[in-house]
Amino acid sequence: MVFNSLHFVWFFLAVYAVYRLLPHRGQNWLLLIASYYFYAAWDWRFLGLLGASTIVDYSCGLFLERTDAPAKRRLLLGASLGFNLTLLGFFKYFNFFADSLHALLLTAGWRMDFVTLRVLLPVGISFYTFVTMSYVIDVYRREIRPTRNIVDFAVFVAYFPHLVAGPILRASRLLPQIETPRRITPEQMRDGVWLIAWGFFQKIFVADNLAPLANSVFDPGAAPTGVNVLLGIYAFAFQIYGDFAGYSNIARGTSKLMGIELLENFRFPYLVRSPQEFWRHWHISLSTWLRDYLYIPLGGNRGGSVRMQRNLFLTMLLGGLWHGAAWTFVLWGAYHGILLVLYRAASRMRTFRSWTSGPHALAQVTSWAVMFHLTCYGWLIFRARSVGQITSMTSTVVRNFAPGTLDVGLVVPLALYVTPLLLVHAIEAYADDLLVVPKLSTGVRYSIYAATFYLTMLFGNFGGSDFIYFQF
Amino acid sequence: MLLFATILGFQFLLFEAGLRTWGTSEAAPAFQGLFTSDPAIGYRLKAGARTRFTTSEFDTEIAINNAGVRDIDDVGPKPANEKRILILGDSLVLSVQVPFQQTFSELLEERLNASRAGEPGSEPVRYRVINAGVQGYGPVEELLFFRSAVGMLQPDLVLTTLFVGNDAEEAAKSAVKLQQNRAATDLLRESAATGLRRTVRRSMVLQVLRLRVLSATERLRDLKGPPEAPLQSYAATPADRIGEGLAITRDCIGKIATEAAAGGARTAIVLMPARFQVDDADYGRLRDAVGQQGGELLRDAATERFKTSLSPLSLPMTDLLVPLRQAPPGPPLFFELNVHLTPRGHAVVADHLAQFVARVLGR
Repeated sequence: MVFNSLHFVWFFLAVYAVYRLLPHRGQNWLLLIASYYFYAAWDWRFLGLLGASTIVDYSCGLFLERTDAPAKRRLLLGASLGFNLTLLGFFKYFNFFADSLHALLLTAGWRMDFVTLRVLLPVGISFYTFVTMSYVIDVYRREIRPTRNIVDFAVFVAYFPHLVAGPILRASRLLPQIETPRRITPEQMRDGVWLIAWGFFQKIFVADNLAPLANSVFDPGAAPTGVNVLLGIYAFAFQIYGDFAGYSNIARGTSKLMGIELLENFRFPYLVRSPQEFWRHWHISLSTWLRDYLYIPLGGNRGGSVRMQRNLFLTMLLGGLWHGAAWTFVLWGAYHGILLVLYRAASRMRTFRSWTSGPHALAQVTSWAVMFHLTCYGWLIFRARSVGQITSMTSTVVRNFAPGTLDVGLVVPLALYVTPLLLVHAIEAYADDLLVVPKLSTGVRYSIYAATFYLTMLFGNFGGSDFIYFQF
Repeated sequence: MLLFATILGFQFLLFEAGLRTWGTSEAAPAFQGLFTSDPAIGYRLKAGARTRFTTSEFDTEIAINNAGVRDIDDVGPKPANEKRILILGDSLVLSVQVPFQQTFSELLEERLNASRAGEPGSEPVRYRVINAGVQGYGPVEELLFFRSAVGMLQPDLVLTTLFVGNDAEEAAKSAVKLQQNRAATDLLRESAATGLRRTVRRSMVLQVLRLRVLSATERLRDLKGPPEAPLQSYAATPADRIGEGLAITRDCIGKIATEAAAGGARTAIVLMPARFQVDDADYGRLRDAVGQQGGELLRDAATERFKTSLSPLSLPMTDLLVPLRQAPPGPPLFFELNVHLTPRGHAVVADHLAQFVARVLGR
């Protein structure tokens, strides 16, 4: 079931109507049943995995609380991590590693007959395994106390607004909201409705309309000139932003209506001026997860500059692999790792530091433009179907830019679909508040509401696709 | 609330103005201006209307003459040496996708007039082919249109062009229009619905919103039970309405033939295939799509069903599937984004119809 479907609209309205009538414990039972139904709408066969992950990590949490013996605690942590990583490894990466090994052996001249398994990828597995792993690690670190109520824990894992594409929630933030009675304020209602409307706008008007533009350039049969490749990459940059930020906003909005606050997952990621800033503004729940549960355990900033650079690079490499079982995602992670390493190294130079973070307008604009294009190049790696396509498109931009061949059929729709998004973005960024629109003066607020309605209804692509991040 | 309604109204006007200036769909008032309401049929082409219709695939000038059919020249009293061929049908006959000179009706006229050169006789016969296709018409509307226009158009031959893809469905849907002495409440409801439709048609914003609502209600219907596989006319076991639609079609064509004969005209049937019956790739896609919805698509089932159903009428009949399928490799016969004939498709159809008409007229 996708958010942008009539099925979800009916599902949510029905759940919400009952939710408002029930007491706290009844609400949690309802959320659990609704979340499992939501997941089963994809493929009921994978409910077992979700249930198993829930029971294993719930049990590990309880056992961890009961023992102080370090060896036993490590064993419990290892069991939980082993279970979750095995699930993830098998369902998400089995085909990838088997195919890669096969290809490697072939290049070495060894033809091996593999027993091949075409393993189906359960939707949202990358998200809920990360959620449950963070819970057990936090209990192990004694940062939180485990919950004793399995229904509350199961809701925490399967809560439908974040189940299949995040944000990746922490127990410290979500569990207390599940465990205690919730009061839904008028502000939450107002902000929730706006987030849902804005999320649909980002998905249906921006992302799904930009998808054909990006596809026309990334299509293997296409032969665009450099300037049009660049336009196609811009289109994809805003497509993936509209798609993922749109999903996150709908998730946050529906959750707000139920009195549960989720994390902000995006905060003006294309307005940043450095790679470090980018990862503080893009998929915030993943980057903070990687920081807290991978980068810091690897050593973080400790152990000298070289180790820190290694840790950064490894974290980003694995972050890339988390996105998908393909070499292009690994390359994308490596690319961002290199950007971060180089940026850290360059930041030691005072002139570079003052240029990238100084108040001078020219420096601000140039550092923003450079970072935006570095991010876009990352999207080229991310979106490409193969390493060969990355090199050929890069070569086209460098060797055959041909500005005179600029395709009006690309540039005009790109501008039309992105401009309204940027206008609202500018207002939000100026106020440094993602929920500034519902707080604006009545006339301005209503104008934005009405324009969002008309643009979505008149020009939205209602035959669009699933959310991109579902595949991860 | 009042302020919100005012802002909503103001932006409505802004979007309406923008769409009227730059919009190019069939919902555009310029295109909808080609139509006018008709108490019996529902709507018809508006006499004297002119417009330019532009999409990403074509850019055409469309003119409607004094008789309310697509033609550059008006239709006047029939000269003694003129033979008129009236082609009834839907959008596949109207053919707004190609310039008038490239429609199969106009090409047919050219071919017939070219072939009559050198015929023995005192005064050479001049053929006039009248394109009476109207977007969205089915057999019921064609019968009603024929009754309203036959006096003015005075045909010698009526070619009823049936689109096998949806004409059975259309006939079943429109059968109510054939009922005599309809209740006053029905007429009132219909007239209110027509009025609302016309208001919506005048606004591009409302047109698009209407399509959104329609699409949502379609999906609501799907939620009530398992969705019916599309293209029922081609289904291995079609819905009952297909059989009813075929019977209504036979009835309508029979009436056209009888009434035409009373005026001294002959009637023949032309079967128009759907694009996927000609295009293999298109067929593969649709077969898979129908299969995914639990249906089975039989490629030529609709054509065969029409042939069987219409054979008791004993009217001359030709199937355009044959020449379109046998056309040598070359440019496409149908447009890619819409299912209508390209200029090449029109030429192939005109060549075939020229021979068919000659046979029917006993030339």
